[in-house]
Amino acid sequence: MSFIIYVLINTVFVLLISPLLMGLIKKVKALAQGRRGVPLLQIYFLLAKLLKKENVYSTNSSFITRIAPYLNITFTAAASLFVPLVFIPDPVAGIGNVILFLYLLVMAKFFMALAGLDAGSAFGGMGSSREMSISAVIEPGVIIVVAAIAFVLKTYNIPQMFALTLASPIFNSATLLLISISLFIVLITETSRVPVDNPETHLELTMVHEAMILEYTGPNLALMEMSHAIKQTLLMGLLINILFPWGLATALTPGGLLLAALMFFVKSLVLAVIIGLFESLTAKWRLFALPKLFMLAYALAFLTIVVELLV
Amino acid sequence: MALLVPSLIAYALACLLPLVFLRKDNKAIRQVSYGLILIASAFLTILALKIFISNQPISAVLLQITPGLGFSVFLDRLAALFIFIIAIVSVSFAIYSFNYAEHTGSHIRKNLLAAFSGLFILSMVLFVASGNIFSQLLFWELMSLTSFFLVMFDYEKQETQKSGLFYFVMTQMSTLFLMFAFILIYNITGSFDLQPLSGASPAMQGVIFVSLFIGFGIKAGIMPFHKWLPYAHSASPSNVSALMSGVMIKVAIYGLVRYLVFVLEPELWWGVVILVFGVVSALLGVIYALKEHDIKRLLAYHSIENIGIILIGIGLYVIFRAYGLPELAFLSLAAALFHTLNHALFKSLLFMTAGSVVMVMSTRNIEKMGGLIKKMPYTATLFLIGAVAISALPPLNGFVSELMIFQAFFQSFSLGSPSLIILLFIGLSLFALTSALAAACFVKAFGIIFLATPRSEEAANAREVAPGMIIGPAILAALCFLFGIGSYQIFTYLGYHLPIPDMLVISLILIGFLAAFLLAMRLVSNRQKRFSDTWACGLPALMPAWNTPLPVFPTPY
Repeated sequence: MSFIIYVLINTVFVLLISPLLMGLIKKVKALAQGRRGVPLLQIYFLLAKLLKKENVYSTNSSFITRIAPYLNITFTAAASLFVPLVFIPDPVAGIGNVILFLYLLVMAKFFMALAGLDAGSAFGGMGSSREMSISAVIEPGVIIVVAAIAFVLKTYNIPQMFALTLASPIFNSATLLLISISLFIVLITETSRVPVDNPETHLELTMVHEAMILEYTGPNLALMEMSHAIKQTLLMGLLINILFPWGLATALTPGGLLLAALMFFVKSLVLAVIIGLFESLTAKWRLFALPKLFMLAYALAFLTIVVELLV
Repeated sequence: MALLVPSLIAYALACLLPLVFLRKDNKAIRQVSYGLILIASAFLTILALKIFISNQPISAVLLQITPGLGFSVFLDRLAALFIFIIAIVSVSFAIYSFNYAEHTGSHIRKNLLAAFSGLFILSMVLFVASGNIFSQLLFWELMSLTSFFLVMFDYEKQETQKSGLFYFVMTQMSTLFLMFAFILIYNITGSFDLQPLSGASPAMQGVIFVSLFIGFGIKAGIMPFHKWLPYAHSASPSNVSALMSGVMIKVAIYGLVRYLVFVLEPELWWGVVILVFGVVSALLGVIYALKEHDIKRLLAYHSIENIGIILIGIGLYVIFRAYGLPELAFLSLAAALFHTLNHALFKSLLFMTAGSVVMVMSTRNIEKMGGLIKKMPYTATLFLIGAVAISALPPLNGFVSELMIFQAFFQSFSLGSPSLIILLFIGLSLFALTSALAAACFVKAFGIIFLATPRSEEAANAREVAPGMIIGPAILAALCFLFGIGSYQIFTYLGYHLPIPDMLVISLILIGFLAAFLLAMRLVSNRQKRFSDTWACGLPALMPAWNTPLPVFPTPY
């Protein structure tokens, strides 16, 4: 029973807060560039507007284009159950398995990449090809990061990881700080941000994620944007709750949940500022220079494992 | 036994019938022959499931030539698993061949194809069922020879001649190494029976292991003994490619596992050797696949990759066993064997659907294809299911077995030796790279073959294939779902309590979310739609050549 309540609370919270975090980062970037920027809630208006528009399909496209937005959001939403944002449930049926979490996100990406190829446009194919290449090159880093976390905390279940870090008074282990840098690089890469990708550009040859969803409009685009926002929240939540889990509720009380939601919002606000500033301060890198960034993530995570072995 | 002997006879009949009427162009005889394969395989599937579930081994002597030398049958859970793999793929193969085999050249050739297919399956079944070394070696050689004839099917093509000869040499090398190992075993035990080699010195065991590993490794396509595999698998007819890639290379895995688990006493360094060869095969296999434009060769390289993944599981098993960690050892072995089954299912599915495409297109070059999803929707959907399964994406079967290997890797911190842990974590990261590259490769393959616009006359005029060529692979596709979603329940039913997520629950959650989002969108969104051309950058029409990201796809590596 408590699990069903958890599903409802976590899903609703993720759906509500994800566009806000997107808006926050946009706002931070605008302020860093000396602009006033769009209102914080602009993304919600954008999604509402998209829902009112009609879907336009390419005459070249097949059913892949039609099912991809739904599969994308379904798999991303299912992945959201693996990262508790306000309340840590008891483990049920292996939900929280970190590998399954990663692969649910890959499944969403797989169909997005196929949809990019479906319309036969020159941009979509470029986007899909680059997205899959980048995701393949970062993959060893991602796995070593989660393996290192599993190594430090001796569990590969995300809610249990959070419970463990929550139970300890200060950082569970100093090495978690090392991993968090790698996790940040993973976050930047997986959410298609500078220096890997540029979320601002349209119709530029540099873009990756935007190129894949270029053919979408209307409600389908709203679904794609929403799943992208959810994915970002999940990765932010993973980073936040492993480093600073304080405030997470372990019992289902309205007061505790409210406090946890508020705490999470404050913590994600800080992270959003960091991401926004990081994005304003760096330029986009060449595609072929990216492996250097990924090697950094890999090396730091590997260092964690070595340090843990020596201690 | 009541099922085994009749099925063996049925396979033999399926082989003899077309040979007797070799010069007659009679479709009915060939259909009867494939029908016999179908019935025999269905019986064998039931038999294998019975032994597998009851876990009661059967053994019998089929024929005693002289005392100590003869043909005997021994089927335990391990053998039953591989009999199941052979039989279930053969069921699908037979249904597929009803239609496919009628498109393969002159009538004598069609008759020969049916005959050799029967013999090929028979030899594989007999190898796995063999209860002693002598019959194993004999049926191993029979399997090699029949598969050689099947590779040489299009014998007048120069490419095929080269592939066939190469395959023949490699396969005889394999038999040579196995024979060497078997002679050593015979020298120690003094009998042809499969029994634990407890008396032998570690050095002798090591020598036997190395020659068995090379012998079976050549057949399984382990790097660096893989060179024959892409040539042989692409030269043979597509239904045979499905058998070779899906089943034959698994028979080699059976041999390796049988000797590692039941006969030899593995040491730590064996595990490291198997693991390293596994990682190298997996990684290089997928990298070769990425730059391949020939669809069948692309799939063949993926077979090398997946054999690598299976070997990683076996290597972890040996390492954990040597360190006295039975639970982790079992998890790794279960992962390897489960992946063997899964790979047989989705690789045969992919080879058959690719075979349909190649038959329609009369070319294996994927650059000439494109847009086939609209002409061949069923074939495309089946290929997509295979692609999702081989890319190890949840909730299909390929994911579950790779997840088990990941989990075994993650727990390697329980090993005592730091240097070994470091080695395993390097292995883990390369394994992760492999599975991500596989996903990239199948986005490429599916996208270029089936999506966007046709890039040749044949692609524009393509038609959906005959029903048999859809039903055959569809059985395998359904099993990919079953073994993925039901994995936890199946393992629990068999009495193995593994720490894996319950995919049934995950799937129910997925269905729930999908239904919720469909309903929500139906209520709140604008449901009108419009069709329009893809934006062609301001030019009058889209160039079909633009939608080939081929030059772009492999370059980032």
